[in-house]
Amino acid sequence: MKAVCWMGKSKIETLNVPDPALLNPHDAILKITKTAICGSDLHLFDGFIPTMEQGDILGHEFMGIVEEVGRDVTNLKRGDRVVVPFTISCGNCLFCRKQLWSLCDNTNPNAHIAETLDGYTPSGLFGYSHMLGGYAGGQAQYVRVPFANVGPLKIESDLPDEKVLFLSDIFPTGYMAAENANIEEGDTVAVWGCGPVGLFAISSAFMLGAARVIAIDRFPERLELARKLGAITVDYSEEDVSVLTALKDLTGGIGPDCAIDAVGMEAHSNDLQYVYDKVKTALFMETDRPGVLRQAIIGVRKGGTLSIPGVYGGLLDKVPFGAAMNKGLTMKMGQTHMQKYMKPLLERIEKGQIDPTFLISHRITLDEAPEMYKIWRDKKDKVTKIVIDPWAEKKAA
Amino acid sequence: MADALRETPNREDLPRVGSAGVIENGRYMPPPADMDGKTWVRTTALVQASPLDCYELWRNYNAVPLWQEQIKEVRITGPKISHWVWDVDGKTTEWDEELMQDEPGKRIAWRTIQGDAYNAGEVIFDEAPGGRGTLITYLQEFGEGKAKTAIDTVRNRNPKQSVIENLRHFKAFMETGEIPRTQGQPHGPRGMSGNLKAELYGEHIKTPPGLKRAS
Repeated sequence: MKAVCWMGKSKIETLNVPDPALLNPHDAILKITKTAICGSDLHLFDGFIPTMEQGDILGHEFMGIVEEVGRDVTNLKRGDRVVVPFTISCGNCLFCRKQLWSLCDNTNPNAHIAETLDGYTPSGLFGYSHMLGGYAGGQAQYVRVPFANVGPLKIESDLPDEKVLFLSDIFPTGYMAAENANIEEGDTVAVWGCGPVGLFAISSAFMLGAARVIAIDRFPERLELARKLGAITVDYSEEDVSVLTALKDLTGGIGPDCAIDAVGMEAHSNDLQYVYDKVKTALFMETDRPGVLRQAIIGVRKGGTLSIPGVYGGLLDKVPFGAAMNKGLTMKMGQTHMQKYMKPLLERIEKGQIDPTFLISHRITLDEAPEMYKIWRDKKDKVTKIVIDPWAEKKAA
Repeated sequence: MADALRETPNREDLPRVGSAGVIENGRYMPPPADMDGKTWVRTTALVQASPLDCYELWRNYNAVPLWQEQIKEVRITGPKISHWVWDVDGKTTEWDEELMQDEPGKRIAWRTIQGDAYNAGEVIFDEAPGGRGTLITYLQEFGEGKAKTAIDTVRNRNPKQSVIENLRHFKAFMETGEIPRTQGQPHGPRGMSGNLKAELYGEHIKTPPGLKRAS
């Protein structure tokens, strides 16, 4: 089959690899019908996530048709159409029982690596480094889905793939970000980053009762999508714009009630801290560039909540924790507890409350994926979301 | 005794002495230190199953190769004696073990009586505080010193890590009926750096099969 492989930092290739096989009793094999490139895939592309191995198949946002099931799979059968969550959960450990699905105890075969770095391991993830399991990802024609009784969500309606594909990650992730922000009716919510997760966080914030959302980014096409969803936009790259001043100006000086960092470890900014973080990460003296996290801690109001769906990988420098303590902030974060959100969000899509296709800008083939990673990283060609049809042939030039 | 605190609605009685020496007179005790040519490892797991179910799987010697790394075979050769075959890339090491303690639902202890490797250990199954399943404490001693352990770390698997991984496999097997694996998945060419990393992460050590227990 064809698959998108990580061959080193900034090096992605579409290669022919063997088809996946059933390896465990709860496995299923999926013929993938649609898959996508996630913003967090760029952290892999840019070499920010350690423990990638040359040859790894990327991709954690995918859906497809069940081709084959293992002996102990009881919830699925051949021919079922399913969306697969990017987190892999066993369904029976203490964490799964507490609905903390992305913290499952039993799905990471390389738990010892994550334990060394983080103390304890989160769940395994598809196509997202060996410290998180080393599972082959879904930017491919077929994929093996472990613990298939627990993850995949059956789509029984005739909704097109593109409308449900984002239940695999970014829609639930944006929704949990808004839920984690403790939004109360009438709140003002600031969202850093208007990529897919940020945009879903904006729409989810309104669903949960926000009166106003302030959206921060620098790309015109993303800011336009944010305005379409009803947010006030702040372009931090414009001359004389200070995000912190903007947040005060828009809230009568008290700051937003909730802040959502939908950017994570590779933040950009126009000030000295960006240079500082660039130098420190280049010297391996820190692993992440936490510019947005710093700004969100300073910018959110006293007693406010900071929600962090943006991915961080390791050690951060100069995080103003004193401000967080003295302002009495609440912080909530983590990979998405997918199984808790997929079904209710599918119902919202079915009822027509949201059409997640609004952010798709590019539809491509697997062969076009390597080039698209570069366009996605450099935010060229007004890219907002890339969907891959793994069975489409390359378009004639 | 508990007079200092008057409201403790969910507090359970404290053990004065805990399993495998974790608690002594109410204090936490660290694991035994490596010395005199011996290596110790103590590891614990919280398993969502009853102590008796955990005991029964552990005590089923025929099932050991399903969840312990690199154990090719365990044969019962006497009332309390079993013969173990350890296989590292086709090179086998064999020994006989004697069952020292066998308390259903509570405790199993053993030691090597003859063969090419020495180990002794015990595994203890306690009800976890708050009714949250079984707290397993696994203590094992190896007859090898620091130099040999270091060589094992480079050439195969550090014996301490292997005990930790075995308990992890046991927990996954117990809770889910399988052991998570990625060996055998498709991937592109690994190249030198990919193979080196896989080696470094211990990914070349075969994940035990973990097929469902024979009844």
